[in-house]
Amino acid sequence: MPNTFFGWIHLLIDEYGSLFLQGAGVTMLIAVVGTVAGFVIGLLVAILRTIPIKPSAPAWQRILLRGFRTVLTVYIEVFRGTPMIVQAMVVYYGALQYLQLDMSALLAAFLVVSVNTGAYMAEIVRGGILSVDKGQKEAATAVGLTHWQSMTNVILPQAIRSILPAVGNEFVVNIKDSSVLNVISVTEVYFMSKSAAGTYLKYFEVFFITAVIYFVLTFTTTRILRLVEKKLSGKDSYTVYGSQSDSNAPIRYSPEDR
Amino acid sequence: MKKLMTCLLAILMLLALTAQAETFKVGMECNYAPFNWTQAKASDFTVPLAAGGYADGYDVQVALFIAAELGLELEIVKTEWDGLPLALTSGKIDAIIAGMSPTAQRKATLDFSDPYYESDLVIVVNKGSQFASAESLSDFAGAKITGQLNTFHYSVIEQIPGVQKQTALDTFPAMIVALASGRIDGYVSERPGALSAVASNPDFAFVSFEEGLGFEASEEDTAVAVGLRKESPLMGSINTALAKLDKETRIRLMDEAMARQPLSE
Repeated sequence: MPNTFFGWIHLLIDEYGSLFLQGAGVTMLIAVVGTVAGFVIGLLVAILRTIPIKPSAPAWQRILLRGFRTVLTVYIEVFRGTPMIVQAMVVYYGALQYLQLDMSALLAAFLVVSVNTGAYMAEIVRGGILSVDKGQKEAATAVGLTHWQSMTNVILPQAIRSILPAVGNEFVVNIKDSSVLNVISVTEVYFMSKSAAGTYLKYFEVFFITAVIYFVLTFTTTRILRLVEKKLSGKDSYTVYGSQSDSNAPIRYSPEDR
Repeated sequence: MKKLMTCLLAILMLLALTAQAETFKVGMECNYAPFNWTQAKASDFTVPLAAGGYADGYDVQVALFIAAELGLELEIVKTEWDGLPLALTSGKIDAIIAGMSPTAQRKATLDFSDPYYESDLVIVVNKGSQFASAESLSDFAGAKITGQLNTFHYSVIEQIPGVQKQTALDTFPAMIVALASGRIDGYVSERPGALSAVASNPDFAFVSFEEGLGFEASEEDTAVAVGLRKESPLMGSINTALAKLDKETRIRLMDEAMARQPLSE
């Protein structure tokens, strides 16, 4: 048995390295699936919640839309307002106990993280939509775009650009929060660490390794998201087509001009 | 699309049913050596885990024995301690074999088999401390003692006269850190856990007590039994199997598990 801090770390990596990596893989898989699916849920919920209720619409339509909005608000408040560890146990064990629905632990993990993230994302996307000037929506309506068309073509492309930092936050939170899923037998990197700690009864050493793993995962993720942000921002300088202040400006768009 | 979904669901359920019919699913944490632990390499004693790695330990050997007696294939489901009772009542697993004691509170939700292990309570202390030479509970007057949250280890601390009972800690590794750093003077543990702690931390020692000088705990606390669903049909056959596991075999299995655990290499 080693007697130094780094001696223990060496031994732990030797003995449990493959399990740590496996756990990190599961953690990352859950975070990626959860964040992407949660983002899509968030976008959809935000689009649905912003459908304008026209006073001129027939009464049944207005009641239906209002009911729909209430359901979505309840979804957001419930999933934002309860801990994920509780949601995981209710979904995974509750579904089997009361609905005889036997799903795999990983499927339950995807479901819980996606739905939970979706609730947060819906509010983040709503913030993004609010940040887009009202005139844009009015202009889109004026040229005859439907709600769906104006959202997907005009509002959301601008909103998404401005909410990317918040989405990155959610991603990082998901990487770390997946550690609560070990109550439903998801063996992610934190649970693997607890096993190594429980076997060798070495707390500091094991969780030093765990901290490094989590940091590498989150740091890589945030760097990649920064690249995406930069890409979405486009070039720093550009010339408007047909600009009258620049005699070299191309007049007509054609792909060769790029 | 709907038809396809129904078909898939039916196949899934069928798979689940057939899987349940042939395997004996046992839940444990796999991080409570020497009762159960996880290791990266297979050996003659390990059972592979679905999530990666291999489980070994006293609980695993008992589970293998029971599964063989029942004529079923053993599947170990690695689950966090807090999730074990729910996993059992919901039907994700068939039994808990995780060093769990059959306490009265747990019996409200679960049924327990006959004990498959019985242990005694000790106090783990720092080797150089004044408490290392203690012989009875009264020698621990004034000591800062703690125990694991939600276990009877914590509730028996009050039997020490004049003790400074500390906040309960979540895990054994956490108590080991607290003891090593000097924040507590000792913690209550069962003998196998104390042996492991001393093996990995040469600065530790543990104090065991003669009959009548130590903690008074009911047999249902110090015993370790298989947790089952209420009115589980497995109860009879598991008890029959455990009856064949005599005292010598139990001691041998525990000694072997202690020797095999990664700590003692």
